[in-house]
Amino acid sequence: MPKIPVEQLKPGMKLARPLQNSSGMVLMAEGTELTEARISKIENMGVDSVFIDGPSRPARPKEELLASLDRRFAKVEGNPDMALIKKAVREHIEAMYG
Amino acid sequence: MGNMDPKALRTRVENISNIPTIPSVLKQLSTIIENPKISLNEISHFVSKDPALTTKILQMVNSALYGFPGRISSVNHAVMLLGLNVVKGLLLSVSVFEIMHKAMIGLREHSIGVAIASKVLAQKKGLKEPEEVFVAGLLHDVGKVILTLVYPEDYDRTVKEAEAAGISIFDAERNHFSETHAAVAGWLSEKWHFPKKLCDCIANHHRPQVSTLAPLETAIVHMADILVKARGLGFSGDNLVPEVNSKAWETLGLAEADLREILKELEDSVEQTEEEFRA
Repeated sequence: MPKIPVEQLKPGMKLARPLQNSSGMVLMAEGTELTEARISKIENMGVDSVFIDGPSRPARPKEELLASLDRRFAKVEGNPDMALIKKAVREHIEAMYG
Repeated sequence: MGNMDPKALRTRVENISNIPTIPSVLKQLSTIIENPKISLNEISHFVSKDPALTTKILQMVNSALYGFPGRISSVNHAVMLLGLNVVKGLLLSVSVFEIMHKAMIGLREHSIGVAIASKVLAQKKGLKEPEEVFVAGLLHDVGKVILTLVYPEDYDRTVKEAEAAGISIFDAERNHFSETHAAVAGWLSEKWHFPKKLCDCIANHHRPQVSTLAPLETAIVHMADILVKARGLGFSGDNLVPEVNSKAWETLGLAEADLREILKELEDSVEQTEEEFRA
């Protein structure tokens, strides 16, 4: 669920979260498909960015994330439960890069 | 130095309100939450005097984490829906969040992550009050904030010692203070008359096997802490994943697929809430 700056919004994108004003009133529901008209409406609200459906890619390269994962687990490698946790996190990280 | 007298440590921590460098909002708040007979009206009155605090509380309860986004408009309403105890915990955490950010960069993100993972785990295990476990997750490391407030230089040195020696912050704290952030937070949460289960979770999140009042909740916060550290979200004093307690692991009985599901939910929520709580 990436957060996209308003100037990069394109018709066809879908809101991953409802768009609310500062008092919590819902202005556009979750799942709303963006059109040119809706994008200019969002621009006029003074919103900087919105959550859009779809996977978000981490800012750092995958290799870097996996290397720091290894470092974090270095002291608990022998424990089979920890090995399972590490495996799940590794797969989770890999899935973020699609 | 090292090996501080645990009794002296406890006395100083429990009298945190007398320390001049403690931010006044925390002092006032600790007087409020210390009172076991505090009423809903008194809490509302205290919060309504501080518009920034009101906004932050409402922001937190209205975030998607609680499942009723945009519907809670007053502190009174929040107390009715979530209960006095949850609101007390939230009040403390929003006040502590600001200090947390200054005390240790990344601790706020770590705490939010653990709160979310705790809530997801609580729901997975069918607990009736996942919000209470959320608060336990949010506050599990509050002892680190207390230690940085009470002993700023010593704590700074402890973090550096942990890094230099490649040990966990937990072990470094024990070397330096004889006690750890978990014990410190346990003392204060008792003094603040937090619900007994919440005290148990906070004090024992590093040794869930000794929890008697809330073994499942404590195992959940313990596991949530490990998962957030494993994923590398935020910073809580070291970059090492602690070993899961075998009894807690057994209690939770999580398969790899469960872990991945929790990580996925954690990732999505963290991305969103970090923005909400940053203000």
